[in-house]
Amino acid sequence: MSSRRSRSRQSGSSRITRITEEQISDLVSKLQDLLPEAHLQSNARVPSARVLQETCNYIRSLHQEVDDLSERLSELLATSDMSSAQAAVIRSLLM
Amino acid sequence: MASTSSSTPAAEVEVEERCRKRKRAARAAEPAAPAQPSKWRTRREHEIYSSKLLEAIRVVRAGPSAAAGAAAPAPPRGRAVGEAADRELAVAARGRTHWSRAILASRRRRLQAAHRARLRAPASPPSRHDAAAASASAASASAAAAKGTATPPLARKAKVLGRLVPGCRKLSFPTLLAETTDYIAALQMQVRAMTALAEALSAVSATSSPGAGSSSSSSPL
Repeated sequence: MSSRRSRSRQSGSSRITRITEEQISDLVSKLQDLLPEAHLQSNARVPSARVLQETCNYIRSLHQEVDDLSERLSELLATSDMSSAQAAVIRSLLM
Repeated sequence: MASTSSSTPAAEVEVEERCRKRKRAARAAEPAAPAQPSKWRTRREHEIYSSKLLEAIRVVRAGPSAAAGAAAPAPPRGRAVGEAADRELAVAARGRTHWSRAILASRRRRLQAAHRARLRAPASPPSRHDAAAASASAASASAAAAKGTATPPLARKAKVLGRLVPGCRKLSFPTLLAETTDYIAALQMQVRAMTALAEALSAVSATSSPGAGSSSSSSPL
């Protein structure tokens, strides 16, 4: 199963893929683009360690946000009695 | 087309098995290209996820009271919603990323362990430990031949990152970065969708339930 991974796609027939610095910095810059602008300037060269650190912090904050939203949703569910008509209304609000 | 899971753990296990077989066939048919993180930003994905999430949490609302056996550990409802959200997110990834497979695999293991525990009388096995051990061995087996390292200071941070993203503890550095990119994009969509859902729910419940505590506002004029 592991033979179908993208590793073999990168270097033709050789089994061992040399991971270049360039590939890694390319991946890091893609990651940097996803991070919220407030933390990092996306056009400035930021050291990879900083990007990784910000990434860890960002993931933790996203997890926290998801947990808070889950709590809020479960509270809303507990108080509202959702009929299928209301579900249709909600669905139309989402679209 | 919408396959909603029923509320009993046994039925859920069956649904997961069927999903797994379907995904395995689909994965064999398609080239194993890594998922594009940009797909998490499309309106279509957002809509699909939102409506699946809505169905899933309706099931959560109806489910736990009906399905709770003596030995099945029922998570508190807040966490149940979060787990349903994670599960739907992982399903939306269509099995192409490590993190999504890890979420689905650990959930399936936990359901199976609880299911088996209900069938056998003695004390239920610690399913959390099972899931962690099984996922670690599966991850190390698939990543055994992975090449690509990072310099030592990056390696430390990469290890922390690998613990944060599910199923990515033992991946090579470039793979970990790619997984993280996709995972963050997916999480961002999850937050957007859950926020929109919460807004919609509170709007609907505010208008439809009269006298719900303090907000029974008689509109002035």
